[in-house]
Amino acid sequence: MSAGSRRGWIPWILLGVLVVGVLAWALWPSGGQSDAERARSLAHELRCPDCESLSAADSQTASARAIRRDLHERVAEGQSDATIRRAYVDRYGESILLKPEQGGLGFLVWGLPVLLLVAGAGALLVAFRRWRSAEPLQPTDDDEALVREMRTGEQAS
Amino acid sequence: MKHPARWVAGGIAVLLVAFSVVLATQVGSDPRADAKKSQLAGKDTPKFRVQSLDGKELTQADLAGKATIVNFWNTWCIPCREEHPELTKFYARHADDPNFVMLGIVRDDTRKAVDRWMQANKDAWTVATDPGGNAALAFGTRGQPETFAISPDGLVVGYQFGPSSAQDLETLLAAARGGTGA
Amino acid sequence: MKASLGVLALALGATSAFLGIAVLGWGIRRGDERLLRLGRRYAFMILGASALAVLAMEWALLTHDFSLRYVAENNARSTPLLFTITGLWAALEGSILLWGLILGGYLAYMAYHFRKRATDPVVAWAMLVAYAVALFFFVLMLGPANPFKTLASAPANGQGPNPLLQNHPLMAFHPPMLYMGYVGMTVPFAFAIAALVTGRLGEGWLTETRRSTLVAWGFLSVGIILGAWWSYEVLGWGGYWAWDPVENASLLPWLTATAFIHSVIVQERRGMLRVWNLSLVVATFCLTILGTFLTRSGVLNSVHSFTESPIGPWLLGFLAVVTVGSVLLIAWRGDKLRSPGRIDSPVSREAAFLVNNLLFAALAVVVLLGTVYPLLAEALQNRQLSVGEPYFDRMTTPVGVALLFFMAVAPALPWRAVSGDVLRKRLIVPAWFGVGVMVLAAILGVHSAWTLLTFGLAAFAIGGIVRQFAIGFRAQHAAGATWWQTPGRTVRGSPRLYGGLIVHAGIVAIAIALAASSAFTTKTEVRLNRGETATVSGYDFTYVRRDVTSTAQKRQVKAQIRIERNGKNLGTYAPSVSMFPAATSAIGTPSVRTGLLRDIYLTLVSTPTDKDRVTIGIAINPMIVWIWIGGALLGIGTIVALLPARRRVVVPPPPADAGAGDGPSGNGDGTDGDGVDHDDRDVPAAVTA
Repeated sequence: MSAGSRRGWIPWILLGVLVVGVLAWALWPSGGQSDAERARSLAHELRCPDCESLSAADSQTASARAIRRDLHERVAEGQSDATIRRAYVDRYGESILLKPEQGGLGFLVWGLPVLLLVAGAGALLVAFRRWRSAEPLQPTDDDEALVREMRTGEQAS
Repeated sequence: MKHPARWVAGGIAVLLVAFSVVLATQVGSDPRADAKKSQLAGKDTPKFRVQSLDGKELTQADLAGKATIVNFWNTWCIPCREEHPELTKFYARHADDPNFVMLGIVRDDTRKAVDRWMQANKDAWTVATDPGGNAALAFGTRGQPETFAISPDGLVVGYQFGPSSAQDLETLLAAARGGTGA
Repeated sequence: MKASLGVLALALGATSAFLGIAVLGWGIRRGDERLLRLGRRYAFMILGASALAVLAMEWALLTHDFSLRYVAENNARSTPLLFTITGLWAALEGSILLWGLILGGYLAYMAYHFRKRATDPVVAWAMLVAYAVALFFFVLMLGPANPFKTLASAPANGQGPNPLLQNHPLMAFHPPMLYMGYVGMTVPFAFAIAALVTGRLGEGWLTETRRSTLVAWGFLSVGIILGAWWSYEVLGWGGYWAWDPVENASLLPWLTATAFIHSVIVQERRGMLRVWNLSLVVATFCLTILGTFLTRSGVLNSVHSFTESPIGPWLLGFLAVVTVGSVLLIAWRGDKLRSPGRIDSPVSREAAFLVNNLLFAALAVVVLLGTVYPLLAEALQNRQLSVGEPYFDRMTTPVGVALLFFMAVAPALPWRAVSGDVLRKRLIVPAWFGVGVMVLAAILGVHSAWTLLTFGLAAFAIGGIVRQFAIGFRAQHAAGATWWQTPGRTVRGSPRLYGGLIVHAGIVAIAIALAASSAFTTKTEVRLNRGETATVSGYDFTYVRRDVTSTAQKRQVKAQIRIERNGKNLGTYAPSVSMFPAATSAIGTPSVRTGLLRDIYLTLVSTPTDKDRVTIGIAINPMIVWIWIGGALLGIGTIVALLPARRRVVVPPPPADAGAGDGPSGNGDGTDGDGVDHDDRDVPAAVTA
């Protein structure tokens, strides 16, 4: 690397440090969620019973409101997320949860896309490597002859 | 491997056929079939607290020892209005039974509308409002009308989603009574 | 009489399609040019037939002819004129009529546009395939989805359309736009099948259909944005996207079509990715049919669901035949499709497009799997499950952010390869801008990592777009254009590039709006007595009075709320609740004060029965208007990209300090001095293999 191009990397390294720094600051664990935040994120995970696909957090129906109130009470009582979810599944069935389970059949939606993405990225990498190492096409004698023919044809016409 | 594109394409074709078969089995099925059954079947009556129209507080404890029909309804839903004459007929038949209770809980409506309704219809069974919607939530209701049958020892033994005919109500009551032979 | 006319028109359409297939098929078989030329005329008959059917239905709607079941179910005497007209697409059978009309229009376009090449087998096969699709839809309308069914006794009045469909003028625009997009995807599909069948797999078919694909994509994009607008302004739950199965169904073909628009450029330049592009085109069409199936068969719950009808198995059968047939065709021709091309460097625009395709494919997989998961769970394990916002947000956000990054970087990447120096020089200023915005956002209180990244990358992308425009403007100005002429000349010099940049700017605007609104929306409810004021987020809300208006169509109760800030009156807004005679519950309509930085979103929490007391919902939604601005940019960018390029005038190289590089050959910039990498120009139609 020439001295010029090495110097050219400095601003980029600085930028990278800034970006990583800001992200680290943002991701720094800040003492967990407040009760209100927990109740709200749970409300996002529960479907409003009267609606088709809206969450209890977004919907304005009376039942969604009741769920939000109920979640606040439960969180204040100290129930864990898993307990609350199970209570709702007991009453409404699994379709009340908007987030599919992580294990079992849920692999289809959580794991399969990631798997396919990784496989696709892998295929791209392999393809790039193959292209890099492949010989560039050289014109064959037939190709040269064809071009010559077309050229003389053009000149003649 | 010769013609990898062909193998990949063949594999994808098989997957697509399988997918179509899966879709085909679902055509005609009701995606909300779970709404037609209640998750409470066979479980204890959920804890709830409602207010009767004359201001008294009612909880699940007030239903103990009696065969109970709980009906969630309101004044604006059309199936509820269709169901209303059936409820009246049914209640008239059993009103004198001391071991029977019918409780109508209002779901998602205003007090004013309920008062107006009661003035016009004078329903004879206990009608209660559900401020806060806790009872509707406790019973896992998704809409109205929904009717539950509860046995004297507090088990939910029957459920009907949607309007019930007088016959349906009799079936529910029989289930409630036959619960523990009481 | 109207019913008979309608059915007759449909029968005419079906017959024309069938005859068209027969004539073209025979003509292709015998190589008979006369038959092939005759065959294209059936397209106009199909258009005429579907137009006639639509006219018959509109006539029935406008005259409130309730002897037709469709009119009785979707129209009433009290329905306003606009919603009577839009009643054509208010329910399932009518929506297929609209589909047929638009398909007829595209068929006529194909027949007209390719009239000089009517004897070319590729064109003939493409028309044949398009006729086959049209035939299917006509048969649907003559069979299970007949819009012209009559009732034994006509009721005195109809039920009227679903209240949600007669509440807002958007009803006139959102479905037709969407359908123009969906149906338009039939054209590239027809040509893809034609190319596969004839074995003429060179680049010819791509350039034939690039314009139609872009047009269809533009309509689809605008249609989707209009749907989001509807969700926000009309439905009143305060959001614009609910990951509802029907919304996802419109998004899926959009994702594959966007991937195709990018990878087709790689095919034009390098002759590569033929199988992939064919698959994308086929997938896009199949996804439109899948979407139609999902929304009309009743297999999934959705706010958009049409009532159940026996149409499901038909659509599924069609979908299966088309999908499996196309895949088998690709498999059959697979060996002919391998191309010897290669991509020189992983740091090139071609490579960036490949990554773009991978990411869009990943998004499509996520949305598709999430949408059909409930079906799979029911079929495989007899469980009823739901998939909603938590899943989709979690899975699509990282991919979306990655796409933003590549969108920011790719326009600065030249074709083929680039030296690190050049790339760094091009990207450094936008990069500083991006990081600057990110740091600023963090200082201003944004705490979510994804939101920060989105803001930073969006600024990075905007920086790159502005840079590209600036270089172009400067070069044109240096070549003698006045400031007034410069923008037009720049854009006309390379419309594809600048159209694409405008579209990217639209996407950036939407990304910023999505990030800001999901991070900073606040919602509260206040109860106000008449004349009472509440203060929320620095705004004062006063309940002025209640208005009740009754028309034959509906009874509407409005609460007039005055908004003030620092004493200045910002206007009176009226959220309302409407009651329709046939509906079971009231429909709430929000009132929105749109601002450049934030929207104030008012809703009525419940029907105010007491005229002196009201409970309103107040939501402050930041940056929402940028979604609609972004949508407009998408449309404008598409139009620009479709403009014909101005004849390229060789521009003298700018003075050395203009920043475009050291002349045409020095820096791998690929520019002629006008700052544009002219390898972006429209490649002339290549000789087909």
